[in-house]
Amino acid sequence: MTRVLVPVAVLEGETVSPGLMSLLGTVDVTVLGHHVLPEQTPPDQARLQFEERATAALEDLSEEFRAAGGAADHRLVFTHDREQTVQRVADEVGANALAVSRPTGDVERVLVSLSGDVDADRILSFVETLVGDRDVGVTLFLAAGAEMPDEAATDDAATDDADPTDATDPGVADEQNGAADGSDGDEARLEAAADRLREAGIDATTERATEGSAFDALIDAAAGHDAVVMGERAPSFRSFFFGDESGRVAAASVGPVLVVRNRPEPAEGDADATPDGEE
Amino acid sequence: MTDEPSGRNLDGDAPVAEAVVETEEATITEDAELERTIGLTGGLAIGIGTMIGAGIFVFPGLAGGEIGTAASASFAVGGVIALLVALPTSELATAMPRSGGGYYFISRGLGTLAGTVIGLSLWLGLVFATAFYLVGLGYYALDALAQVGVTVGASSEAIVSAIAVLAGVAFTVLNVTGTENAAKLQNGIVALLLSMLTAFLGFGLLEAFGVIAVDTPPGQAADVWEAVPILSVAALVFTSYLGFAQVATVAGEMKDPGRNLPLAMVGSVVIVTVMYVLTIFVATNIFTRDTLLASGETAMVEVGRALLGPAGALVIIVGGLLATMSSANASILSTSRAIYGVSKDALLPRWASRINLRYGTPHVALGMAGGPVVVLAATGQVQLLAEVASFLHLIMYGLMCVALVAIRRDRPEWYDPDFVVPGGPVIPVLGALASFGLIAFMDRLSIGVGAAVIAVTAGWYFYYARDVELKGAL
Repeated sequence: MTRVLVPVAVLEGETVSPGLMSLLGTVDVTVLGHHVLPEQTPPDQARLQFEERATAALEDLSEEFRAAGGAADHRLVFTHDREQTVQRVADEVGANALAVSRPTGDVERVLVSLSGDVDADRILSFVETLVGDRDVGVTLFLAAGAEMPDEAATDDAATDDADPTDATDPGVADEQNGAADGSDGDEARLEAAADRLREAGIDATTERATEGSAFDALIDAAAGHDAVVMGERAPSFRSFFFGDESGRVAAASVGPVLVVRNRPEPAEGDADATPDGEE
Repeated sequence: MTDEPSGRNLDGDAPVAEAVVETEEATITEDAELERTIGLTGGLAIGIGTMIGAGIFVFPGLAGGEIGTAASASFAVGGVIALLVALPTSELATAMPRSGGGYYFISRGLGTLAGTVIGLSLWLGLVFATAFYLVGLGYYALDALAQVGVTVGASSEAIVSAIAVLAGVAFTVLNVTGTENAAKLQNGIVALLLSMLTAFLGFGLLEAFGVIAVDTPPGQAADVWEAVPILSVAALVFTSYLGFAQVATVAGEMKDPGRNLPLAMVGSVVIVTVMYVLTIFVATNIFTRDTLLASGETAMVEVGRALLGPAGALVIIVGGLLATMSSANASILSTSRAIYGVSKDALLPRWASRINLRYGTPHVALGMAGGPVVVLAATGQVQLLAEVASFLHLIMYGLMCVALVAIRRDRPEWYDPDFVVPGGPVIPVLGALASFGLIAFMDRLSIGVGAAVIAVTAGWYFYYARDVELKGAL
């Protein structure tokens, strides 16, 4: 079952807009109420004082989510480190995506970004489930220069092996090839992705940006859409300084963002046994 | 043996208790989870960061001034005692990874009276220690002023007190209003200090063994290699080891506590002991004890100057400022956790652990830490503050060792430590004897002040919390 984790800073008055709630009506939701404390404060101390208030707010939120359609439960965490908490709970509940909660009205059209080194297959199947048979349009977006991940990468493995220029390190190799054959290839892949969604009965269009940074292009494209779906990326030098990309997209586009997680659901039990060996 | 604390205090509050599940990553209560966010590095930084300020930057002058190179032995004795206590503390902490540290173990192992006395003495002991660090900070700030050409002449002690008071107020205000996470900064400061010291000590050792030579001022006073003075200095400098148990006050926030708590506590003791012994060795090798005595709290600045010229003096001044600040700050953080642990068990009024929603900080507890710190810092009494802090901590350390023996004997159902001290009761018994024994070598005035504090805390128990029952509960 597809599950989305919605982190909410309940004690700071953060809430979830009705638009995002109805958008998530087709999937299961775990509302993660979190309260971030400065290091002076033991989390247990904050729990003692704020637990009841926070739990009441979370129960209301879960109730509203259930009313919007999907199954919903909630967790409440007191922490010093929001990022660590979100990742841990997302692993534990096996969440397919994280929501960055921002206000929005009724969602009529969603922008789905396939730029960068993301798992397109997971994004597309998430979008299929999310939209379901509702009347929500999808715009597939790919920024220039940003190589689109080959959703059929595993099928192509044999041919890739024969063609070293295209194989080992897609990030570097394709950036060099991009000018020559990349743009036709991108177009084709984007179209293939759109066809896949159309087969599932979704109104899908495509959009490519040819200039400027991938981030700015995405923000420009987000205008006219009510929410953004994007893939999860490894933390980078940039994210270290400016915060993670999804947060910046949410802030700049003034709308909710759904981040499809890369990791497959963890096996029961020890989740951190092999932090680096994902493949 | 009951598993639940019971009874009510004078205000009619009962201890807060409920069943929780501890995992490596979080504590899971009925309705909420508490994330564990401090790793091994963070734990070591708390331990080392609390300890290193005093031992390296304040005591070499005082201790070396009294007995010369023999002070290395005093620091070694202190390190061994600290290790004897750190091992039993580790076992208790892995069995009860909760906020409150030593207080929690003693109240569960030895009952409410001992718990109240230790809980409140831990708070006040930390207050004395923090005041001591701040006075040390004042001396380094004064030296820094002198370095840039500002001399204050005769009233230097008043200036030191004034700087200590200002710093105490500033730290309290910053801790109440500061919501930025300073943990990374603390880790960075500790790493910087360790690398500065390693370079400095490496150079000093080369000099000591005659590989390189610098001019050392002449002096006649010989080293005092006698047991009683060595132990008496050990009692004084034991304040330099008061950080390892502070790691236990954040036990509830430590990731993988079964592994990281013992490593952080024992590791920080071993690291600082080596640093201390080497520092004293280098300092007393360059200066004889009368020269050290003359330069007092900031003798290390002169050592730095003799070794490396003005640059060496500057390195030590910057290091001293950073180290005393990090010690003071880490202690204030531990204090608010100590108060919270006691207040949660209804031994102090519940309002003592209130948090304000605006900053998310425990302003009452921080005020209860910062207020008395400022008053004590104003006295400027380095030795007295240090010894009273040591006295109160040594009582706690001794009782923690006793608590370990008691709790092992009683074996409550929940007692299942990840880390077990080897050798049966040998180490805890030695730790208790050494802790209580060291007190005998302290100054009479310090013992008197410490005993008065203990008497007041015991009085508080009989007045406020006589009916609260904590022994054997989880």
